[in-house]
Amino acid sequence: MPIDYTANLHLLTPEFVLTALAFLVFTVDLFLPESRKEWLAGLSVVSLVAVMVIAILMRPSGSVELYGGLIVVDSFGLFFKIFFLAIGVGIIALSVEYGRDRFEYRGEFYGLLLFSILGMNLMAMSRELLTAYIALELLSFSLYVMVAYGLREARSNEAGIKYIIIGALSSAIMLYGLSNIYAALGTTFFAGIAEELASPGTVSPVLWVGVALLVVGLGFKLSAVPFHMWAPDAYEGAPLPVTAYLAIGSKAAAFALTLRLFAEAIVPAVDRWDEWQLVIAVLAAITMLVGNLVALAQRNLKRLMAYSSIGHVGYALAGIAVLGSDFALAAKSVVFYLVVYAVTNLVVFAGVTAYYNRTGQDNIADLAGLADRQPFVAAAIAIGLFSLAGLPIFAGFTAKFYLFAAVADGGFLWLAGVAIFASLISLYYYLQVLRQMYIERPPNPDHAGDGHELAEDHGEDHGHGDHEEPPVAPMPRPSLLLTATMSAGLLVVVWLGVYPAPLLGLIDAASAAIVPLG
Amino acid sequence: MPLAFLIPVFSFAACPLIILFQRWLPLRGAPLAILAIGGGFVVWALTAVSFLGASAEHPACEVSGITGALTCHFSTSWFEAGLPGVSATVDQAIHLDWGIIIDPLTVVLLGLVTFVALGVQLYSLEYMKGDPRFGWYFAWQALFVAAMLTLALADNFLLLYIAWELVGLCSYLLIGFWFENPGPREAAKKAFVVTRIGDVGLLVGILLLWVNVGSFSMTDAFAAAASGELGSGVTTAAAILLLLGAMGKSAQFPFHVWLPDAMEGPTPVSALIHAATMVIAGVYLVARAYPIFAASPEAMMIVAIVGLITALGAATIALVSTDLKRILAYSTVSHLGLMMLSLGAFGWTAAVFHLMAHGFAKALLFLGAGSVMHGVGAHGDVDIRRVGGLRRAMPVTAVVFSIGALSLGGIPILSGFWSKDEILIAVEHNLPVIFIVLTMLTAFLSALYMARAMFVVFFGPEGEDSHHAHESPVLMTGVMSVLAVLAIGFGWIAFNWPGAFDGIGGFVFYDHAEKFHFNYVLGALSIILAVGAFVLAWLVYVRRAISHEPWRARFASILRVVEGRYYVDEAYQWSIDRVVLTVSAALAFFDRAVVNDVAVNGPADVVRKAGVALRLHVTGHVYTYALAVALGVIGLAIFWWLRSV
Repeated sequence: MPIDYTANLHLLTPEFVLTALAFLVFTVDLFLPESRKEWLAGLSVVSLVAVMVIAILMRPSGSVELYGGLIVVDSFGLFFKIFFLAIGVGIIALSVEYGRDRFEYRGEFYGLLLFSILGMNLMAMSRELLTAYIALELLSFSLYVMVAYGLREARSNEAGIKYIIIGALSSAIMLYGLSNIYAALGTTFFAGIAEELASPGTVSPVLWVGVALLVVGLGFKLSAVPFHMWAPDAYEGAPLPVTAYLAIGSKAAAFALTLRLFAEAIVPAVDRWDEWQLVIAVLAAITMLVGNLVALAQRNLKRLMAYSSIGHVGYALAGIAVLGSDFALAAKSVVFYLVVYAVTNLVVFAGVTAYYNRTGQDNIADLAGLADRQPFVAAAIAIGLFSLAGLPIFAGFTAKFYLFAAVADGGFLWLAGVAIFASLISLYYYLQVLRQMYIERPPNPDHAGDGHELAEDHGEDHGHGDHEEPPVAPMPRPSLLLTATMSAGLLVVVWLGVYPAPLLGLIDAASAAIVPLG
Repeated sequence: MPLAFLIPVFSFAACPLIILFQRWLPLRGAPLAILAIGGGFVVWALTAVSFLGASAEHPACEVSGITGALTCHFSTSWFEAGLPGVSATVDQAIHLDWGIIIDPLTVVLLGLVTFVALGVQLYSLEYMKGDPRFGWYFAWQALFVAAMLTLALADNFLLLYIAWELVGLCSYLLIGFWFENPGPREAAKKAFVVTRIGDVGLLVGILLLWVNVGSFSMTDAFAAAASGELGSGVTTAAAILLLLGAMGKSAQFPFHVWLPDAMEGPTPVSALIHAATMVIAGVYLVARAYPIFAASPEAMMIVAIVGLITALGAATIALVSTDLKRILAYSTVSHLGLMMLSLGAFGWTAAVFHLMAHGFAKALLFLGAGSVMHGVGAHGDVDIRRVGGLRRAMPVTAVVFSIGALSLGGIPILSGFWSKDEILIAVEHNLPVIFIVLTMLTAFLSALYMARAMFVVFFGPEGEDSHHAHESPVLMTGVMSVLAVLAIGFGWIAFNWPGAFDGIGGFVFYDHAEKFHFNYVLGALSIILAVGAFVLAWLVYVRRAISHEPWRARFASILRVVEGRYYVDEAYQWSIDRVVLTVSAALAFFDRAVVNDVAVNGPADVVRKAGVALRLHVTGHVYTYALAVALGVIGLAIFWWLRSV
């Protein structure tokens, strides 16, 4: 039966519009004088919002396939599309000031961002391995360029080179895995794979290697241990907004793909899945332990956030490992975790960016005394980190609660235990940052010596709090846009922490679209 | 009606807005708090009107099988936890709603809270003028009121508990508002700690109910208690635990010690605490959870006894106190005791009625006391022996304060008379005769100390501190005047107004609608006692016709005990010094040596060293990374293959 390649093509309108708008940004960039490049940020935000509206307005009822099943438009894809577009808006908000001060050719940056979001959208909609791969590459290529966007910074260049080399390696591995799977099963459609896997009988080693390689490829995108080593270097070298984007956007997209792949291709083959889920669980455990342990020893904020994000990937992977037991619960928890993780990280990165824009420093020790210099920035970072550590009343608590409960419910009590232990470790290094901001005093060049303090010391060791501490040099106020981003993010963090039911309802509806049959 | 949830939401929103933006707002954001509570009052009025017009036909309403009153629930899902698979190990799934309950009790309580809070905040505009933390004051006020309103609206125990704790927190913040001084600091700490002790009881009670009922829903818990499904032991235990919480918040013996000290806060805060928030939370809790209490005769008896002891003890202390605010504080304790007693005597309607009547009168009296302090320029204590004869300098305050005192003293036709009378009837009807005798005595004392405060401060000979007294600004006297009108006329809603209103007993009732009733013997007796007390006080303190000195001399030893407030504070102090601190010193040593040094720091060191060591695996060389990937691939494939074969 010939495939009708034009059926339902109108449902891809959001993607077509996004593509057109990305090109429009590139085109307008050619004609804009350097001083007006901010307009491109505005144009990009307008595009993203417009695409959001279009995507919501044009949503079909139920799932509709296009291109003979390569791509599906359903509520799962829609949810992630909106999510990605919102992430895009957040990243642009982070980039405006940073780009103005530190980017050359910043117009193209926004165009690249739009293309990468297009890639992410397609990743959430693909139902076929090669399509997914191409979408992934669209995202990756944009990211390679964006990571190296600090043209004159050696760090950024190094990060870009490392990222692209390891990225190319993992792409090759993934493609090889795809070819193995095709060789073994004769199909690359998720549904087809599920069908083949479910058929009884032994499976050829070729398939093992294929699936293993596929998981490695995804593991690279997710930066799961041991495929994570590129992440700290890339995070540290990349310009801050791009670091945020790596931590938030590319992770979320990779999980969207992983979720759909597992839900539609692997979990339905119940017998096989029972054999395999332990592998994912072990990966998850190693990932959260290594990520959080190594984070303890970091001195650079961006590297810290890299390891922290590796740790968080571990938690979410634990959710993937129990997809087979109570799918709705596990999928809901993972998706909710991703949303919360994204919003919280956005707040933290907005705070760090605000600090970096004013001072050019990104080591943890540089934050000393921030609470006195910019209380709001410090509070935003602190609340963000509390949420990441999973303390109530913030969203991170609710998200971890649901996720760990789902993991325990799925029969992996030990994994939930490891996750809680890892969270405990994470609290330590998050608190280190807080200690710098709230307890440590900044190095004060005016403070000549403590001679007069000694003179005032009368015998008993009491009341050293009474001494007037030297005033701290105030930091210039962060830009209005970053302040607004932090405020909005904080509101969401508290809202989701206190009253998650509405979002969970949406997520329920979204993950219902990929429930494995049977 | 569903919009009733907005009543606290306004004030909840006002609090952070004021804190964040007070620098840029007019009057430091105070109008925001007042607008919020004013909005709450308007919404309450609309809710009350629509509730009065509602019937059981309303989809959200039904006539409760337990209380017999029209009860409406509005809720939306908050979160769920406790998962299908886990249910094997954890008995129940937790399903929690944001839920509000609207029934007569809630309606009258919300009215009292919003109204008094509105008045107090308006009054505070003048009273707190010039305070360096003016904005913060109103922010905490807004939060306090919001918490109290949530408490009154909550239809599940968890939400109630959250609001309950928020009320405790706000009382701490407001009592200790002038934390630069040691007095308020200590008082705030005391209030927080003492009420916390009761709160633990409440929490355990809620959890006990949850374990046995399987949900936090009040409706479920009450149904289970009323039907006997809970079992009498659990019901009694739950009731006593809830009562513990109520005793802490409502300053019942032996947890009453915090309330008299709480006057260290700004006086309008005292008015709010004593009349509309905080202390009435405990009475409200017992009234709300009445099905649980009603199912346990033992618990009811305990409620009555606690109430009686508190009422009588506090009344005697009030009689010998010399500080105006302290007299009022012990009077509150005493009247809260009366409410508890009434609840224990199945006088549910009377208790709620007295809660309202007392609330208006006590708010009026405290605001009056604040006005006196404002007028004579006192900060902290107002010794009634040093102020006197203020009626000339402060005529409005004198009139309204007297109205409050007469009302609370139970002089007929004023509000307090009717509500007190209802309590007396309930006590006489349902409890042993000793109760009614002691209650009568309390009522007499109550009239006596109110008369004493009123005559000495306003009508006696002029005191040394009252020479420069002046009347308070219009905003303050205006608020007091409105409250005075209520202190006079509120009680008349007890009557049956044919065609218009069935009397409070036909609206706020438990089990069955009550008619207005009046026991002529009791009524006459209580009138004689109340009027007698006022006449006696007039003779002693104004006419000086009778001297109280010989009486003081004759009962010197008893007097010393009463003036020492029965040494409850001293007993606490002793037990804290000798018992609590000794035990905690031992625990602290264990904590430092074993828990901290060995159990915490040991593993922490291991973890940190592991982190430092593991860090080295990221070498910075791309080929290491590639090698790790390759090893990972091989490892995965082998692992996978091994598992499948």
